[in-house]
Amino acid sequence: MIANRMGRLVRYIGSLPLLLLTGCSAHGLSRQFLLFRPDGPLAGTDLRFTELDVAVMMAIILPTAAITAFFLMRYRKTSSTAAYAPHWSHSNLIELIVWAIPLLTVGLLGYYSYRGSYDVNPYDPGLLKTKGLPAAGRGHVLNVDVVTTDWQWLFIYPAQHIALANALVIPKGRTVDFHMTSATVVNDFFIPNLAGMIDIMPGMRTKQELVADKIGTYKGYSANFSGGGFSWMGFATKVVPAAQFKAWVRSAQSAPRHLDYAEFNTFARPTKNVNGKTYVFSHVSAGLFDQVIKGVLQGRVYTTPLPPAGAA
Amino acid sequence: MVNVQGPWSPLLGRLSLGAIPNNPIILGAFIFSAVLGVLLVGYVTYADKWGVLWREWFTTVDHKKIGVMYIVIGLVMLFRGFIDALMMRTQQMLADGPHSPGFLGAAHGYLVPYHFDQIYSAHGTIMILFAATPILVGLMNVIVPIQIGARDMAFPYLNAVGLWLTAVGAALIMISLFLGDFSHAGWVGLTPLTELAYSPGVGTDYWMWAIQISSVGTTLGAANLIATIVKMRAPGMTWSKLPIFTWTALSTNIIALTSFPVLAVALGLLGVDRYFGTHFFTAGLGGNLMLYSDLFWIWGHPEVYFVILPAFGMMSEIIPTFAEKALFGYVTMVAASFAIAGVSWSVWLHHFFTMGAGPRVNTFFSIATMVVGIPTGVKVFNWAFTIFRGRSRFETPMMWAIGALFMLLLGGLTGMMLAMPPINYSVHNSVFVVAHFHTMLMVVVYGIMGAVSYWFPKVFGFKLNERLGKRFFWYFTAGTIMVFIPMYTSGFMGMTRRLDYLANPALMPFEVAEEVGIGLYLISIVYFVLQLYVSIRDRVANRVGADAWGTGRTLEWLTPSPVPFYNFALTPRVHARDELVWRREQGLEGAALPGYEDILLPRNTPVPLLIGALALALGFGLVWRIWWLTDVSLLAIVLTVIARSFVQDTDMVVKASEVEKIEQRLRARGAGAASAEGGRGVEILRPSASRP
Repeated sequence: MIANRMGRLVRYIGSLPLLLLTGCSAHGLSRQFLLFRPDGPLAGTDLRFTELDVAVMMAIILPTAAITAFFLMRYRKTSSTAAYAPHWSHSNLIELIVWAIPLLTVGLLGYYSYRGSYDVNPYDPGLLKTKGLPAAGRGHVLNVDVVTTDWQWLFIYPAQHIALANALVIPKGRTVDFHMTSATVVNDFFIPNLAGMIDIMPGMRTKQELVADKIGTYKGYSANFSGGGFSWMGFATKVVPAAQFKAWVRSAQSAPRHLDYAEFNTFARPTKNVNGKTYVFSHVSAGLFDQVIKGVLQGRVYTTPLPPAGAA
Repeated sequence: MVNVQGPWSPLLGRLSLGAIPNNPIILGAFIFSAVLGVLLVGYVTYADKWGVLWREWFTTVDHKKIGVMYIVIGLVMLFRGFIDALMMRTQQMLADGPHSPGFLGAAHGYLVPYHFDQIYSAHGTIMILFAATPILVGLMNVIVPIQIGARDMAFPYLNAVGLWLTAVGAALIMISLFLGDFSHAGWVGLTPLTELAYSPGVGTDYWMWAIQISSVGTTLGAANLIATIVKMRAPGMTWSKLPIFTWTALSTNIIALTSFPVLAVALGLLGVDRYFGTHFFTAGLGGNLMLYSDLFWIWGHPEVYFVILPAFGMMSEIIPTFAEKALFGYVTMVAASFAIAGVSWSVWLHHFFTMGAGPRVNTFFSIATMVVGIPTGVKVFNWAFTIFRGRSRFETPMMWAIGALFMLLLGGLTGMMLAMPPINYSVHNSVFVVAHFHTMLMVVVYGIMGAVSYWFPKVFGFKLNERLGKRFFWYFTAGTIMVFIPMYTSGFMGMTRRLDYLANPALMPFEVAEEVGIGLYLISIVYFVLQLYVSIRDRVANRVGADAWGTGRTLEWLTPSPVPFYNFALTPRVHARDELVWRREQGLEGAALPGYEDILLPRNTPVPLLIGALALALGFGLVWRIWWLTDVSLLAIVLTVIARSFVQDTDMVVKASEVEKIEQRLRARGAGAASAEGGRGVEILRPSASRP
């Protein structure tokens, strides 16, 4: 029995180099760097600021590292030619320079940080405004209410009266407003290619707003640890053309499963979504999102049972 | 009292046979610890050392021995934390993608989620609070009094109490491995996950009480060190002549004294929630879970600087010694330390930029965070200019200090990235952050390793083996690169932290590389143990005089190595910032003392150990809700403290004639000279007044 297990382990480790190769070639490793492949203005801004920050910091850090390394080489004990000044420990000019460099750097980066904070402000991204979306475009905003449970995602489309669990479908090029809350503990909404992380907290409502520029399927998941099923809290985000989105909404509206608060409470029982199951609900009761928040504020919890002894 | 899930009895609380985990990994750990424990107890009994242990160590109030015990606790817990890291890395390597195999009842990898979550929570808690913190407190304990020419700490008895309370915290964490479970909610204790509804077991209670009890010890230690530095400096040591490590010790302990009580309040309120059913941090019924995050990080971020400032101080001591040159910009360095300590209070919110605070709040904390980079950058430049026109020798402590400097550059780069909200949003809860704070903690670890090899000869009278020390350094550095560069990289791939299963198999190559890095760490640990063994074996040949490195600059290198229990036969008068350099240049080094005097020292006492034992019973009772035990032990602690406060006779006098004998013996040994005394050098550490 144990020998058998060991055999499996050995075979598995033996196959690792092979996997390394496939990782590099077939899948295209560069495509795996989700943060370097933004397909929406928010993720794009995150990346632009990353590049800027790294460039500025590198301009300071690389010379500093080089100078330090040079000093260590030049002024080593075994070098007979280097100058030696055992008491020299102060220079007003150098002091001025060593305070000025970090001060100016922080001044510059601080300014960009201020700009960036407003650009990606989840409540009112400055960025999406300057993108030139017409004021009338606000009417085209798609509202999605996000509720996390232990350990599933529920995306409610309130205007369409439908809901989708553990998957998200949004139309391309249209601003999507997410209102987010949790029924249990804190999670974090993250679609690396489209938008950065925003916490989802029980009894509270946070917001995120994004636009997807390209059609495709993106990885979304929770980024904040929430318990035993956390590793399986993924949701595929499908960005589809507007027409296709309409068709999908129509088909979802005739889904057999309905969703009201009572049904939600059943859905919200602790579940590890190991197999990546998705569900579609129609006839979602109006105000379900608010009802979840209200329930939590009134003390509703979805208790985790005591883990069996030996799970430790 | 709230009702808890599962059975409860008045006699044993929640404790039952079912609390013993039924898991082959834990069984293995238990057998390993049991064998090690039996060997240790067997050796001590065989060598008839119980009496020595009791008289010299368990009841001591000598700051050097207390410091050494702090460091030993820290190193043992460092090893435990490393084993946790090894298990996490192995799990993440094995559990990649839906087709990865499962072992030992896990769907993927070999750890079920609940077990993995406890391991990473234990890793964080242990490494920060039971490895880094005790080792640093220990080093400050050993070095600060000698560096300022004091005979002991201001409150030696309190010092011992602090040590044993820290030991209690470490003991509770070790007990949780074999009895019950540990918290699964991260070392930060994510609310409301730590509330009874989502963590009904005893794990969170273990985590909470281990930290709560040990941080009482840390707070007491901070008060003690501040008092020592302010009141007990040798004559002539004005503030402008204070050694730089002592300056950082002062700034860091001001942080500790003011921030640890915040943690006590945060954990206390959480405890009230869990034991009395209040709603401070619950989501509903008026609770506010983000209030906990605020309180925790109002302590947590200063704690980061609490561990890094002493490391900066160590680097500032090591680099001038081995560059054979005065520290560049002393005043600037002191100002920078206090600037860092001050700003550390106004940056805590950067730990949760993503909570959805508005851009105004985020901008404030973002810029405050970046401001920390200014004094830190200045420090880096100052170290570089200390090396400039020096004569650098690359002995082991210097290697560690240089390594720390380069780690700081990398950590600074990634720290400046994380300080910017738009960047932070994309990597906040990712392994990029994990790699960043490990890089910063590596600055601490490198500083610690440098300090241990730097001051080891001062405390024990012989140097550590150079060749093995260098191997230890290089394997450790290779491990650091192999673990954390891939970790940064996978952060850009969108990998989040605290995952027991990776849905994306493309992460596999990076996980394998990190596992290789862990292997290198393992080799480096072998070299560290080997270094200790070989150095102790060859201790007579490696013996050193007062100034172990030949280029020491501060007061601690004036008194013989190993430092006698009274530190200085005569309290020295201080003339310069680098007192030893001044004396060397005046030709005063090694000058004979003008005479000897009677020395008043605190007497050993078993009371701190007793308080520790009672605190352990209290913590254990609280975890398992055994109310009779908590009541009895709490009452006993209070009575012990009161009773001790009536004891008047707490000091002893060492006669001048005996001081003279010890000094002559110590000075006769000389550097490197193998005297007839053989390996009995450590006995000099013992005051004869305490002999039976």
